[in-house]
Amino acid sequence: MIVAEQKSLEEIRRMIAPYPRVLILGCGTCMTVCNAGGESEVSFLHNSLRLAEVRSGDGIHTFTEHTVKRQCDPEFLETLSEKTIDVDVILSLGCGIGVQAIAEYLGDIPVLPGVNTSFMGMTKESGVWDERCAACGECRLEDTGGICPITRCTKGILNGPCAGSKNGKCEANKDVDCAWILIYKRLERLQQLDKMRRYYSPRNFRAIPRPRRILSKVEIATGESDG
Amino acid sequence: MNLTNTSHPGIHQEDASDHSLIPPCQNACPLHMDIREYVSLVSQGRIMEALQVIRMGNPFPSICAYVCTHPCEESCRRAQVDKPIAIRSLKRFAVEFGGDRMIRTEAETKYSDKVAIVGSGPAGLACAYYVKKIGYPVTILEAHSDLGGMLRVGIPQYRLPREVLDTEIQRLTHMGVEIRTNTRVVSLDLLFELGYKAIFITIGAHQSLRLGIEGEESPGVIDGATFLREVNLGIKPSLGRRVMVAGGGNVAIDAARTAVRLGVKHVSIFYRRTRSEMPADPQELEQALEEGVKIKYLSTPVRIDRENDRLKMTCVRMELGEPDESGRRRPVPIKGSEFTKEFDSLIVAIGQAPQTPSDFGVRIGRGSTIQVDPSTLTTNRTGVFAGGDAVTGPATVTEALAAGRLAASRIDDYLQHRYPLPVKETNEKLSGELLPKTIEMIRKIERSEPLSLVGETRVKDFETVEQVYGWEAAINEARRCLRCGVGVEILFQDKCATCLTCLRVCPYHVPRLDNTGNINIPADQCQACGICVAECPAKAIVLRKPFDRRQVSEELTHTIKLATESKNKPPIIGFCCQYGLFGTGTLSRLWRGAKAGVTIVPVLCVAKVEANHLLSAFETGAEGVFIAGCGEQCARENTTYWVKQRVEKVRKVLRSIGIEPERLQVFTLGTAVADPTEELDRFIEQISALRLSSVIKEEAIS
Amino acid sequence: MANSLFEEKLNSGEFIVTTEVGPPKSVDVSEVVHHIKLLKDKVDAINITDHQSSVMRFPSIGGCLLVKELGGEPILQMTCRDRNRLALQAELLLAYSRDIKNVLCLTGDSVDVGDHKEAKPVFDLDSVQLIKMIRTLESGTDMGGNELGAAPKFCIGATVHPEADFIEPQLIKFDKKVNAGAQFLQTQGIFELASLRRFMQYASQFNIKILAGLIVLSSAGMARYMNNNVPGIIISQAIIDEMASVEKGKGLQKGIEIATRMIKTIKEENLCHGVHIMAVGNESIVPDILEAAELVSTPG
Repeated sequence: MIVAEQKSLEEIRRMIAPYPRVLILGCGTCMTVCNAGGESEVSFLHNSLRLAEVRSGDGIHTFTEHTVKRQCDPEFLETLSEKTIDVDVILSLGCGIGVQAIAEYLGDIPVLPGVNTSFMGMTKESGVWDERCAACGECRLEDTGGICPITRCTKGILNGPCAGSKNGKCEANKDVDCAWILIYKRLERLQQLDKMRRYYSPRNFRAIPRPRRILSKVEIATGESDG
Repeated sequence: MNLTNTSHPGIHQEDASDHSLIPPCQNACPLHMDIREYVSLVSQGRIMEALQVIRMGNPFPSICAYVCTHPCEESCRRAQVDKPIAIRSLKRFAVEFGGDRMIRTEAETKYSDKVAIVGSGPAGLACAYYVKKIGYPVTILEAHSDLGGMLRVGIPQYRLPREVLDTEIQRLTHMGVEIRTNTRVVSLDLLFELGYKAIFITIGAHQSLRLGIEGEESPGVIDGATFLREVNLGIKPSLGRRVMVAGGGNVAIDAARTAVRLGVKHVSIFYRRTRSEMPADPQELEQALEEGVKIKYLSTPVRIDRENDRLKMTCVRMELGEPDESGRRRPVPIKGSEFTKEFDSLIVAIGQAPQTPSDFGVRIGRGSTIQVDPSTLTTNRTGVFAGGDAVTGPATVTEALAAGRLAASRIDDYLQHRYPLPVKETNEKLSGELLPKTIEMIRKIERSEPLSLVGETRVKDFETVEQVYGWEAAINEARRCLRCGVGVEILFQDKCATCLTCLRVCPYHVPRLDNTGNINIPADQCQACGICVAECPAKAIVLRKPFDRRQVSEELTHTIKLATESKNKPPIIGFCCQYGLFGTGTLSRLWRGAKAGVTIVPVLCVAKVEANHLLSAFETGAEGVFIAGCGEQCARENTTYWVKQRVEKVRKVLRSIGIEPERLQVFTLGTAVADPTEELDRFIEQISALRLSSVIKEEAIS
Repeated sequence: MANSLFEEKLNSGEFIVTTEVGPPKSVDVSEVVHHIKLLKDKVDAINITDHQSSVMRFPSIGGCLLVKELGGEPILQMTCRDRNRLALQAELLLAYSRDIKNVLCLTGDSVDVGDHKEAKPVFDLDSVQLIKMIRTLESGTDMGGNELGAAPKFCIGATVHPEADFIEPQLIKFDKKVNAGAQFLQTQGIFELASLRRFMQYASQFNIKILAGLIVLSSAGMARYMNNNVPGIIISQAIIDEMASVEKGKGLQKGIEIATRMIKTIKEENLCHGVHIMAVGNESIVPDILEAAELVSTPG
């Protein structure tokens, strides 16, 4: 799941300042799950912005709200055309992908990012999310006992812990587990410590060239399929 | 008193979005009363509304409040946690404090077809009440000099004060029900000839069954029904010093306790089975024991010899054999176990049967009961309906009331030439036991019983044994209700992102992930705390009965209106828990504080106040907003935690738009020692100070 | 044949003494110059730290050039924190061309502990990969597989942490460093000789020189601070208590005493191949320690 954090109210207010009529657009998938931009957050942000307008006394803004199932697929955005008739800007609470999908879909109306897309991760407990994958394009979890050193080690190093590991925690943040200690313990449990003893060569940062694209379909030349 | 014009939403009006399930208590009630609703209203101190709900389901709630055998309590799911809710006592409280007996019922005659009701027991009275309400002229025909049937001649006064019964009968008279006492009906044909179009036979089951043993005709032997009737009609039969009561039902207990009140020193009940098979109400049995009644189980008299004005009873000891058709184990005499005991009197209370005049021409079935179609209560004779003990054999008052009510609607169908459609249940029934993991998380709260007169005091006369609750006790007892079936549901499956928030925030471990990957919130486990409703990021979850949520928003709207109207004082909006606060007097004190500009938005548990509600409160222009919850005293889990989470979330917004975060506060009420009004006063002062400083600031700027 | 003076000394079997100098956050290098002058003839080599604790300073390579200019033997500390593989290789070419031939390969501290917390942490390579990369350069090709006009040759060191609270994964990494081609291993600052003894029992199976890292404490407060804030430092309570036992102002004296004591024991018991003295800002007292420990340096 993609995890994001809503931008501060100050930043959002600064962004929307030039646009009187704002559509706050939620996303019903990842942003709902990570509490950054589901229907409930849309409505809370709506209320917060309205309250800010009332308090500032010089409010020119009007707000509408709407939430689509997923902002990152244009088919879900079809309902937007009627919602954007009297709208000057879309404040998207979708992830960075959602914002760009809207920008691609609606050429004439500006779209603003209401959240900071942060990482791919999982829910640790209600209200706590942890990063788990860096989308490096070269998954090595086979060798590391299912624990990703690239994501979970602050340095992303591949050949074991640095010397800064103390009490099983990271030198950069005493609340964070040292990934390499976790990996060691897990491999030990799996009786696969030989995997840790191997030398791992430097990462290939061009596993997939940027901007990355995945093709899971085969290109078929015109006419070929019809025989 | 005007009860029709209430602002209580959710009652009366057909609510299409009510997806609540019928709770087990309601399901067990012969009258199908909305118990959950009135218990909830009592817990909020809304007694008048509670009474209104009670009156909607019960023609004579005052009577039921005294004598109902409360099958609802037997099925109450709170018993799986600790003890069932004291439903009957709560009803009694609502009835007494709501002033049920002051309520007069009006009825208009709309039709000309006359209805005759033969017998004036609970079934007859209820039928008369409803038939009259529908709009037919009704006549009650009663053989005795007073109305009430078993209510008057069977049930002892210490269980049902006669004033209560008389008030109900007056109500009927006021409605225009014609009453003919000392009128024994011998022929139904005659009634039809008199112009009655429909007849309801409800003559009860007054004929006592006999032991069928030698010497049963001896002087000093009296049957239970006759004995109770005599005492109830003011005759005091002389029983001597030692009395045996044979039987194990409520009549046996009533007879024994009545005997005690007549001054009999030694009263012994002989019952042929054991306590666990005894059909008598356990509470009544308990009270009988407290009053000194002795009970001998597995014993029955087999022969009576009258010697020297005394009864020499030959008894035999029994043991339990195979179960009989009633499912109870059949008592079998033990050979050679005979023993004798001397008594002055014997009261035989082993059961009663109806005695229907053969001239009625209705078909009689097993146990001399009148045979009817159970769904229409029609007999073999056209236009003749029957119900109550005469049909069922001895049963409870509540069952008789239900039969009377059913008869009324069936008589209406008959007279209007309508097909008698079966009563349709609109909502699903709640089924299923609470799971152990749910039970574990439910806070155990002791059941509080209303006071009873102590044994020694009460045996002196026929004063009502059970007293009524005080406010605080009633409210605290009502708060124990688990509100089965009004929990939450995922109403908008299309919105649900399966984020598992509900599963994670539920204090009771109720939501679960089914094997298709969907979230399922089982209605039979949900405790209706509302936390998941407020926390659901997709707004996909709602309470099955959306009463609470609507109330918060509605009250807020109302407050906005008030706020715009008055501009004098800094308006402060407080979301206050309704549960229990009236009981401790806290809320009433807060109301008094409303003079200082405090507006209270009553909520059913502060866990249901969403962050958005708080923002809306500020948007109305409120200078300060607070949440007052019950804290440790809350019957639900984690409420304070979630309140604080939401408050912090809102404070962050306030801070960023230049509103002092201390304008939003949480008060924890309900602690016995602390006076919350002091805290509130300080808050009001603080808000005034903030206001002053902002004014000064503004002036300085300009 | 030895590639550098230091390598020659390593191979000689004599007891080795190195120390380190931290460059300033300044363009004024006079104090570093002073320290280098003070130390260059008393130790076998001087490490120049590379933005120690991720605090931006005058660069390690710059410090090494100064050592070289002043006639000393430098060890270039090189971390992976700030440079990708292009920059690392380029800097090594520069170093070699200026006769800086000793490299200590380090992963580098996290950016989060330093004074530029918002910087991009590079870590394109880790310390093991860095060692490998240097050996690759020596073979005449760069990491991209392209031929070098002329190849360098280095004496390579790395670090190890014998006092880590969870030693097994550290030992695995130690093995990897040795296998990658490290010639000497400098330990993190140690305070308990018992742990060094245990470690040496393990390390002696490898053909590698071990230099025991010794931090000269100046007060109990410093010890506690380092314990909590400096990555990889674990100072035992016994040492902290010993530091706390002296009156105020005498802390450094005590620190020197402890360091001297440890050096003497290491040398007498022949625990390892040498020591690396880290005076952390008190570089000028290193000669005192050397004197007290009766270490006579024979540079050149």
